Amino acid sequence: MTNAYQQTDTILHVENVSVVYGAKTIIENISFTEKNTVRPNAQQGQTIAFLGRSGRGKSTLFRVITGLEKPTSGRILIPDYNKPINETGQPAKPVAEGDVGFVNQRYTLFRHKTVYQALMFALRKSTDSEAEKQNKVLQYLADWGLEKVKNQYPNELSGGQRQRTAILEQLLSSGYYMVLDEPFSGLDVGNIESVKKAFHLITSSHELNTIVFSTHDIELAVELADSIYVMGYASSPNDDLKQVGTIVGHFDLKAMNLSWAGTFDARHAECAKAIKAAMLAS
Amino acid sequence: MLKQVKAFFRPFERVSSRQRLAAVGLWVGILLLWWVLSALGTRHIFPSPAQVWQGLANLFNEGLIVHIFSSLGLATQAIAISLLFSLLVVYLSPLPALKPLALFLSKCRYLPLTGITFYLAILVKDARTMQVSVLTVFMSLYFITSLLAVLKDIPTDEIDHARSLKCSRWEVLWEVVIKGRLDYVIDVLRQNLAIVWMMLVTVESILVAAGGLGVLIKNSDKFMNHGRIVALQLVILLLGLLLDWGLQTLRKGLFRYSTF
Ligand SMILES: Nc1ncnc2c1ncn2[C@@H]1O[C@H](COP(=O)(O)OP(=O)(O)O)[C@@H](O)[C@H]1O
Ligand SMILES: [Mg+2]
Repeated sequence: MTNAYQQTDTILHVENVSVVYGAKTIIENISFTEKNTVRPNAQQGQTIAFLGRSGRGKSTLFRVITGLEKPTSGRILIPDYNKPINETGQPAKPVAEGDVGFVNQRYTLFRHKTVYQALMFALRKSTDSEAEKQNKVLQYLADWGLEKVKNQYPNELSGGQRQRTAILEQLLSSGYYMVLDEPFSGLDVGNIESVKKAFHLITSSHELNTIVFSTHDIELAVELADSIYVMGYASSPNDDLKQVGTIVGHFDLKAMNLSWAGTFDARHAECAKAIKAAMLAS
Repeated sequence: MLKQVKAFFRPFERVSSRQRLAAVGLWVGILLLWWVLSALGTRHIFPSPAQVWQGLANLFNEGLIVHIFSSLGLATQAIAISLLFSLLVVYLSPLPALKPLALFLSKCRYLPLTGITFYLAILVKDARTMQVSVLTVFMSLYFITSLLAVLKDIPTDEIDHARSLKCSRWEVLWEVVIKGRLDYVIDVLRQNLAIVWMMLVTVESILVAAGGLGVLIKNSDKFMNHGRIVALQLVILLLGLLLDWGLQTLRKGLFRYSTF
């Protein structure tokens, strides 16, 4: 199935993406379109979650969305905000390296830059004055609880501090998009809360800010996301499970009226159960 | 007591610093005992401490200090040239066009020293230049090999991280490979220092005209003085260890994040 790009309100358009390494197809036929979320009386970016068992190609898809990996076929389009809006809406462009921030599972940072140096580096292309950049970085460091460690190197940081630095770096450098591969794995309860807070900080600070993340915690995804995609192996006609990842389910939590509830109630639990069933079947 | 002795022979056992010191002391004791025993009698296996001391004094009179500085000067000169050359080759090896050159040079480390020396001797007449060129050629091959291994060990994650921050390919090279691995360059130098040090003395003893510790070794043949030979070996060993320690300290001092 192909889905033609429609300019109106589209923020992320993934069309027929497949990735093949050598003879092995990792993911195929991945298509979806995310529209700008509108929430009455509030500034609201979008939060998109990808769920799926290990090896279903979540990380591979993320590398494609971030422009780090060229898909074997298909394309990823995002709005080109450098161009003026025309009668059909915001013109689109193929995603390029750096357009979409990426925080990988290991929170990789520059080993030779302190937190402060890393954040200043992330701002190096900004047209702000040096003083403005410094103020901005110092403000972020204070907001994100990194003030005390600003002169430390990555090997001197805790896991949570590294992760926050990695997120901040991408936030300062990239446009509206941020992809996080399993940002909740291996964190203690305190750090999970601070990542959740960071998500809210990001999505509430700009209408177009978009977070894409993967997790193994279904309840957490239901709580945080307003759109959930389930990745699994595509069933082949003779009903064997083909070991190629694709999207096997989409849960639009806005349409289900589950987004932004602020609570996790029985209906959220119901949704989580349906997602779990979809994951187990693929 | 028996329990403590047993602990010394259990793999991965943690012992207190006093026990560690005791283990070192034990070995030093064994060494000294062996030295004294082997120096007993008239026909020695090993020169006595007094003979070594005497040898050291002889070396001083032969101009040990001058020779040490000559050797260090030669080492510094050769290291500087070969390191610059190796870094250039290795830093450009991520370019597909230059990769084969780097790999080829690395393979050349299996060439025999004598062949190269022979060939260089045709080209260069002056002894000092000759020494520098032989050392430079050989050290470069080892440096290139080790530096290529450092590059190969850089995780793709780090390169992708830089790319995700809008780094151009050249910026990735500069930030991740060059700036991000400067401390490794010092360590590569340190790791290869032993080979360099050994080659240095050998090269000096082949071409005696330019002086250096190698000349003193060469002269030992003439004297057949055991004490002198051992004293010289010790001097060369200690100098090498000192350089090793200096480089290690330099790396840790310059790069706080360099904790390996
Ligand atoms: N560079 C690669 N070359 C070959 N196979 C790969 C490569 N990267 C990932 N894979 C394979 O692709 C599949 C999907 O991996 P991944 O995208 O990491 O899944 P997930 O993130 O959902 O666990 C796995 O079977 C993995 O072995
Ligand atoms: Mg993964």
